[in-house]
Amino acid sequence: MMGKRLLSMLMASVALAATGVSAEAKTVLHVMHQGDPGWVSTYGEVAKRFEAANPDVDVELIYAPHDAYNEKFSAAVMSKQLPDVMELDAPFLANYVWSGYLQPIKPLVDQDVLDDMTASNIAQGTYPIDKDLYAIGLTDSSVVLYGNRKYLEAIGARIPKAVDDAWTQEEFEGYLEKLAKVDGVKWPIDTFRGYGIKTEWITYAYGPILQSAGCDLIDRTTWKSTGALDSNACVKALTMMQTWVKNGWVVPQSSGTNQFFAEGHPAALALGGHWFYAEAAASMKDDIVVMPLPKFGPKGASPNGTWIWGITTASEHPDIAGKFVSFMLKDKLYRDYATADSGYPGLKSFAAASPLYDTGGPLAVAFEQASKTAVARPPHPAYPVITSAFMQAVDEIFNGGDAKSALSAAAAKIDEDIEENDGYPPFDEQQ
Amino acid sequence: MTLQQSAQPAVAARPAWRRDKSRLFQEIGMLAPAVALLTIFLIVPFLLSFWTAMTNQPLVPRPTPIRFVGFGNFLRIFRDDLFWTSLWNVSRFTFWILPVQCGLAFATALLLHQKMPFRNLFRGLFFLPAITSMVVVCVIWGTLFQYPTGPFNQVIGFLSGGTIEPIDWLGDPNWAMFSIVLLSAWQAYGFQMIVYLAGLQSIPDELYDAARIDGANALQRFWHVTMPGLRPTHVFVLVITTIQAFKLYTQVAILTQGGPKSSTETVVHYMVRSGFEEQKLGYASAVSVILFLIVLVIALLQRQLLRRFDV
Repeated sequence: MMGKRLLSMLMASVALAATGVSAEAKTVLHVMHQGDPGWVSTYGEVAKRFEAANPDVDVELIYAPHDAYNEKFSAAVMSKQLPDVMELDAPFLANYVWSGYLQPIKPLVDQDVLDDMTASNIAQGTYPIDKDLYAIGLTDSSVVLYGNRKYLEAIGARIPKAVDDAWTQEEFEGYLEKLAKVDGVKWPIDTFRGYGIKTEWITYAYGPILQSAGCDLIDRTTWKSTGALDSNACVKALTMMQTWVKNGWVVPQSSGTNQFFAEGHPAALALGGHWFYAEAAASMKDDIVVMPLPKFGPKGASPNGTWIWGITTASEHPDIAGKFVSFMLKDKLYRDYATADSGYPGLKSFAAASPLYDTGGPLAVAFEQASKTAVARPPHPAYPVITSAFMQAVDEIFNGGDAKSALSAAAAKIDEDIEENDGYPPFDEQQ
Repeated sequence: MTLQQSAQPAVAARPAWRRDKSRLFQEIGMLAPAVALLTIFLIVPFLLSFWTAMTNQPLVPRPTPIRFVGFGNFLRIFRDDLFWTSLWNVSRFTFWILPVQCGLAFATALLLHQKMPFRNLFRGLFFLPAITSMVVVCVIWGTLFQYPTGPFNQVIGFLSGGTIEPIDWLGDPNWAMFSIVLLSAWQAYGFQMIVYLAGLQSIPDELYDAARIDGANALQRFWHVTMPGLRPTHVFVLVITTIQAFKLYTQVAILTQGGPKSSTETVVHYMVRSGFEEQKLGYASAVSVILFLIVLVIALLQRQLLRRFDV
C-alpha cells in the first residue's frame, strides 16, 4: 500500500518534471479575456483544441473580470505583462490603438475570416485615423425593444415588424402612457437601470437615443463635446427620458433586471440587449415580441459593438496569435456556444447558421438594425472620459437633475480631458 | 535593588561613546527591517503620489509627454462640484455613523459585560459581522434593500399595515446614504464593541464596590464610575470611527456606485473613478493627497483630544 502510493507520487513528480521541460520548449501564447463562467470554460476548451492542433504552442488564458477589465489591462501594461491576444470592448479600441498597444490584424488573421465580417463588425474593429482593422469578433451586438404581446394587444398597439416601421416618438410615448394604466403593468418599460449607474450599458443603450434625436456624445469631426452633448436636441432627449422616470414608467434601478419576465410580468416593454432574449423567451414563450428601437427623430439609431479580439504590439509571436484568433473564430464548438448564448452574428457565415437572426427568426429585426441603424460609439481615445462623464450626467438627470446643466458639465469634462491631452494628436487635425 | 545600583557605576565607567556606538549598531540593526519596509511600501509611494499629483500622468502610458502641471490638478479638483459633493457626503456619513455605530457598539458592550450564561458565545456572535467580508455583507444587504418587494420593505409594510409606502433604500437620493450608514454600522460595530469591552474590563471593581458602599444606585454608578472610566475609550473609538468613515468606499462601489444623483459619492470613490475609469492618475493622486491632509488633521485633533483627557 505504502509502496504503491510512493511509486505513484514518484511517477507524478516525474510527469510534472517532464511537462515542465517540454513547456519550456513550447511557445507560450497569453490570451486575456473576460466573460461569465460559461464563456470562461468555452475559452478553456478552445485553448485545448488549439493546443492539440498546434502541439508546439501552449495557450495560457488570463481571466480578468468584466467590471475591472480596463483596470486589469492598465496593470498589465504597467508591469509590462501584456498578453499576446486580448479581448477588448469595442469602444475602447481607439484608446488602445492610439496608446500604441494594438497592431493591425489584417496581415495576421486568415483572409477567409476577414472576408466573412459584417460591415458593423468591421466598423467596430476599425481605427478612424488609418482606417485599418485592429480587432475582430465572431459576434456583434444590438439593442431592441421587447414587448409583452398581451399588454400590447390590450392597448391595441401597432407592432412593427421591420426597422423601417419602427415606432415614432409620439407613438412610443403614447403607448407608454396607455400601458401605465393596463391591469398588471407596474412599469410600462424596463430600460435596465438595474445594471447600475457606472456601466457601459448607459452609453451603449441610451447613446443611440441621442443619435436618433439628432445629436451625439461628441462632434465626430471637430471632436468637441460642448455644442454636441449639451445641444438642444440632446437636452430634449434626456429631458424626455427624465419625464418617463418621473411618471413612474421606468423600472427603478433597485428593482433588478428581470421585471419583464418576472412573475406577473410587471414590466410591459424592455429596452434590452439581444442577449436578454434567451432568458426572457424561456419564461415568456410566445408572449414575447421583438421590435426595432423607436425613432426619436427622422432616422433611427441602434448601438453596436461587443467584446472583440485584438493582438497586442507586445506579442513576440504575432503570427501564432493571429493563428489562434482565426482558429477560434472558425471553431465549431465555440460557435455552438455563441449560438446557445443567442450570440449576435458579426460574421456572415455565423449569421447564416444562426436561426435566431435569420430571416423570419425571432431576432431578425435586431440583425436588420446592424445594416440600417447601427451607430458605433465615438471612436476616440478620450472614450473612457466620454463614457464616464455621460454616465454621471444620466444618473443626475434620471434623479431629477437639470438636463442642460448636467450635460454641459459632462461636455466640459470631456473637452477638458481632450485639451489636457493636447487634443490626442492626430485626432485634433481630423477636421 | 542594591545589586543593580552597585553594578551601574561599573557600566558607566566604560567610555560613553563606545557603549553608545555598540548600542547604536544594535539599534540600527533592529530598526533596519521595519524602516526598510516602511520606506519601500509607505514613504516612497507616499512621496511619489505627491510628485504624481503635480503631473498629468495617465494611468496607462501614452504617446503624449507627461508634463509637470504644478497645482493645476488641485485647482481643478477644487473647481469640481462633484468633489465638494463627495466631501459633503463623507461628512454626512460620518455624522450619522458616529452615533449609530458607536452607540450600537457601546450598548452591546455594556450588555455583554454583564455576568450572564454563555457570555463568550454571545460575544463571538455579536462579533461575527465584523469578521464577515464587507463585500459579502453588501451583496446580502443589497437583496434586503430591494425595492419594492425586498424583505425590509415587506417587514415595514406588514408592521404598518401597508400604510407606509415601500422605500427605495438605495435608489432614492434622500435614502441612499442612510441605507449605507445602516449596513456599515451593522458590519463594523463589532470592532468598537471589543474596544469598549476592553475599556469596561479595565475599570477596577473596587470603584464599583466603593460606589455601592456610598449608596450609589445602578444609574449613578454608570454615570459616575463607568462613564469617566471610559473617557479615553470614547475618544479613541470616536476618532478611529471618524477616520474609517472618511475612507468609505467598498459599500458605495458595490451598491450604488456613487449614485443616485451623486448622493453617495465619496472622496475615495471619486479618486478611484478619476484614476481608473477616466485614467487620470495625476488627478487621482492629487485627490489622495487632499484626503491624506484631511485625515492628518483629524489624527492631529485626536492627539490634542487625548492629551486634554490626560491619557
